[in-house]
Order: sequence, then structure tokens, then C-alpha cells
Amino acid sequence: MKTSKNEPRAETRRAMPILCGADIELANFVASAEPACGTGYEASRALLAEIEGMPIRKDSHSLNSRWSAAPAVSRTGANTGKGVYFPASGWGYNLQDVARRFLPGNGGCAYIDLDHAELCIPEVLSALDHVASWHAMLRLMRGALDRANEGRPQDRRIKVLVNNSDGHGHSWGSHLNFLISRGTWDNIFFLKAHYLAYLASFQVSSILLTGQGKVGSENGRPRTPYQLSQRSDHMETLMGVQTTFRRPLVNARDEALSGRSTGDDPSAPARLHCIFHDSAMAHGSCLFRVGPMQLILALMESGKVNPRLILDDPLEALESFSHDPTLKATAKVITGQHLTVLELQSAFLDEVKRYAAQGMFEGVVPRFEQIIALWEDALNKFAEGDLMALAPRLDWVMKLMAIERAIDDNPSLDWDSPEIKMIDHLYSSLDDDGLYRAYEASGFTEQLVSPERIAYFIDNPPEDTRAWTRAMLLRRAKSGNVEVDGVDWDRITFKIRGRYAWPSYRAFEMANPLGFTRAAAEPVFESCMDFGDLLDGLESLGSEAALPSHAIEVN
Amino acid sequence: MRFLQRLNDQQHQQGSGDGDSGASNRLEQSREQGDRLLAAGDEAIRRALSGNSESFLRAGRQQGGE
Repeated sequence: MKTSKNEPRAETRRAMPILCGADIELANFVASAEPACGTGYEASRALLAEIEGMPIRKDSHSLNSRWSAAPAVSRTGANTGKGVYFPASGWGYNLQDVARRFLPGNGGCAYIDLDHAELCIPEVLSALDHVASWHAMLRLMRGALDRANEGRPQDRRIKVLVNNSDGHGHSWGSHLNFLISRGTWDNIFFLKAHYLAYLASFQVSSILLTGQGKVGSENGRPRTPYQLSQRSDHMETLMGVQTTFRRPLVNARDEALSGRSTGDDPSAPARLHCIFHDSAMAHGSCLFRVGPMQLILALMESGKVNPRLILDDPLEALESFSHDPTLKATAKVITGQHLTVLELQSAFLDEVKRYAAQGMFEGVVPRFEQIIALWEDALNKFAEGDLMALAPRLDWVMKLMAIERAIDDNPSLDWDSPEIKMIDHLYSSLDDDGLYRAYEASGFTEQLVSPERIAYFIDNPPEDTRAWTRAMLLRRAKSGNVEVDGVDWDRITFKIRGRYAWPSYRAFEMANPLGFTRAAAEPVFESCMDFGDLLDGLESLGSEAALPSHAIEVN
Repeated sequence: MRFLQRLNDQQHQQGSGDGDSGASNRLEQSREQGDRLLAAGDEAIRRALSGNSESFLRAGRQQGGE
């Protein structure tokens, strides 16, 4: 672990677009079945069996096996000396990576993690594309759910919930992955304590906009009828590499999904793995998970970290904010002031607006003006008390309105009734009983991206990240009868048969998530019909594909 | 407990000092419109309430993750 840094820091460095990916687990189970071990094993495998993807293996690594069908290439990327390196996946007995298949349609993937179906959306630059990509993945899963349920009796239907806790003390993740510079990574985790605290404080206050809402409390926390966040009760530490116990507000897991740094270049990419947020259904909540994070991370990339916004005790503040849907709870910031969650979010927004006026986010956060406008509008509506206007945009408000309506119409029910907890769960159900689905079908929910854009991302990758080349290579391999031996985010390995059908293996590296865009790679695809020539051509893009395509200089 | 009503009212009280009756009317219209739209979820809620919620919650127990 780096504890000091003697060399002078560069005054100027490139600012990269804050690219975002996501790996999001779902709850899955068989209705009415109550074996002691649960039904996640059965449900997750039935769902994954209905999702087509690559590589497709003809060996023993089937869905009925507990062995991983993860990529064959065991990655042993260089340990930068700045933390623990976790290989993303690999062969072996790995219950956290079963049956992974990449999707030639959009460049994302699906797999099983500890009996949870998990969806990974392809890397995108724009928060609005994140919303569209996420809903595209939900539609893919909804299709898989419908097929998996064909022929099953009504009382044995598989259920999929897009939430983060089961009410019995178990939580699962909705992780975001942001591209940041290695220099900022080092600042957060090794060099500048106030960077870590600033990021944690922002995330804590963001539950006002990103929480899905939850009935009751868990994990030994005080009783509460309703709270803003699904994840809040499960957050126990400020920072750490772990994700399954003593969950940290800021996760320090350093996976080299963005290329391996030699440690010499502070602008080299790193991945910030954010495990804090709830899963989202509402477009607004989904957008606010990503857009404001991009803006805050861009501030941090530029060294604009205002310590006056740092919470004195972020974990205590998280519980206070989450457990008070009336938004009156306050928490102390290190200046000694006590702020409500709305006041703290407003202070972060003011920071962002100030630097937006100076052009800081140009080329770094796509559609930043729209993100800021929506953010400001939401906070204004909270300040005005216009919650009905916020319900179509924010999950926790929409869910709360639905539940209060149910209690009003059914006086025998109260917040402790199992029926109310069931409505909490069904809010995010992908089956026909889903409450969000009902509101969406009725036109109640706010649509920040069009149905056409969502449909686009079911069958098409983002054009402005490496996801485009990943998807196109998988398609070309499929149509050219080239076997895909293994796929990972930054590498694809092909098994190419030469003369006499003798196979050779060839790995194609895509370390830079901002490289291999459609603009860069499409001419190569168009000019190379032979698969080997295609890989040669893509590799010849070399440094062009390896550099951030939108790099600008900042001080 | 009506959390939303309390939040709504407290914010409105804070803002009512300037006598902005226009804002008040807009809020009321917003509530009425929202109530109509929220009715779209009533059927889904009725279905939920007619099921065996305790069994559903037990079946929904998950293992691990992340």
C-alpha cells in the first residue's frame, strides 16, 4: 500500500470521460416454495438458461454444474503495489461467477453470482444511456423470466425482484463501475483522507434521489416503518475491499477492468467499484445513481473537493437520513453545522453548478446540462413539498405513495403487516404482478429515455465505448464459425482453426474502455473479411485505441 | 402515518409565509392528478393483498450475493 509520495505531482493531467458500467444482482426465487436452503439455485439457473450468449461451451461447465463457465483466460495482471488485485473471473470453483455469457447484441453480459442472476450493462459514457441500457437489460431478463415460467404452475412461478434486500437480513448488490484516473484513485484510498470522506458524504446524501425505499429495518438497526434506502442498514464501514460483510460506503476493490497501470501515470485509468446504491426502476432514480456521481468524480479529478461538505459521521448520517422519510433529520458536517439531507444535496449541487459554469464538465460528463437541470428540479420540488411531481421520477417516493394508498384503502393494514412488506417487494417485480410495471404501463412514470432508445440497447452496443467492438467481434465470430474461448471485459480469446483444423488461441486485448469505439473500429471491420486479418487490423489501432478518445487538459 | 402528507405540509408551511396561493393551487392540482394516476397501481395492489403474503415473504428469502 502506498503511504507516501515524494515525487512532485503533475500540475496538468488529462481529464477522461467518467465512463460507467454496472453489475447488478437480482432477487430470484420460486413462489410458494420454502425449502430451508431457498430456491435461488433453481430460479437463477432457470433464468440463465433462457439467455443466449457467448461463449457457449460444450464441456462439463453446464448450468447444472456448480462449476464456473467463466472466461478461460486466467488473468494475472500486474499488481500495482497499490492494493489487492482481484481477477474478475477465471476458471475454477467460483460460485460468484457461474455460467457467464456475454451478449453479442449489446456487449453486456449475464451470469449467476451466489445463486443470484446478475446483469452487467455494457460500458456507457452517458448517464442517460445508462438508464436506457439498464432498462434494456431488464427487458431481456423479463423475456427470460416469461420463457422460464412457461409451463410452470401458477404457484411455482419464478419471481425476479429488482431490489437489494429480502427483509430477512440478506442484501445483494447493485454495483456501479466508474472510470477514474489512477491519480484520483490514489487520492481517495491512499493519499487524501478528505477525498474519501467527501465521496462518502456525497453518496450518503444521494439516497434522497437514488433510494428505492424499503418497509422496515434490518441488520439490528432501530425499527422504522419506512426508509429511503434498501442498502442503508447493510452499510457498516467507511471504506474496505469487502462486499459481503461489513459493507463499506466506499469500496476499494481494485479490479483491472480498465487496463493495468504501471503506477507511473496518474492519468492512467482505474475502476471505482461503487457498491453503495440501491437498484432502481424509475428512470430518475436510475439517472441520479450515475449522473451526479459522474459530476462529483469529475470535481475530484480536478482537485475541487470542498471539505465543508464532509459529514462528521457518514454512517450515522446515513441511518438518520434513511430512516426519516419526512426529511427533517439532520447530520453534522465537520464545520459544526447540522444539515438535512436536502440541504446537503443542495450544497453538492451548488458546487457542481459553480464549476459547470466554468466549463469543467465539457467532454467529461455527457449531457451534463440536462443532468444538472433534472437534479436541481428534483431538489426544488422537495423544497416545495411537491412530492406528487416527484413520484413518477423517484422510486422511494413512488413506492411510499403506493403503500400509503394501500393502507388508506385497507384500514386493517399497518406498516408491520406482511401484506405491506409484500407490496414493498412487488414494487420491483419483473413478473406481471410488478407494481412499477403497472405504473409504467399506465403512463404514470416519468420516461427520461424513449422506448426506442431502450429497444436499441437490447440489440445494439453503445457506440462510444469498447463495448461496440466486443459485441461486433462476438457477432463476427458467431457468423464466421470462429470459436470464442473466453470473454472478459478487457479481453476476448478466440480459438481459431487453421489448416488441418489444428486450433490456435489468440487473445485480443481491449484495455482502454474508451477505445475501440465504432468510429475507430468500424473501418477495420468493413475492410477485413478474414478473422485473423480483422484482429490484426484492430490491434494495429494501437495507441489510438489505447488513449482516452475525449481527453482534454485540466489544471 | 402519512409520511408524505407530513412532508408535504411541513414544506408548504415553510413556504406559505409569502402568501403564494398560486403555488398552493399548483400543489393541490398536482396531488389530484397524481392520485388519479396512482389508481393505475390499485389492481396490482389488490392482487398483492389477495395473495398469501407470509408465504411469499418466506419464499423470497435469499442467500448471500455480491
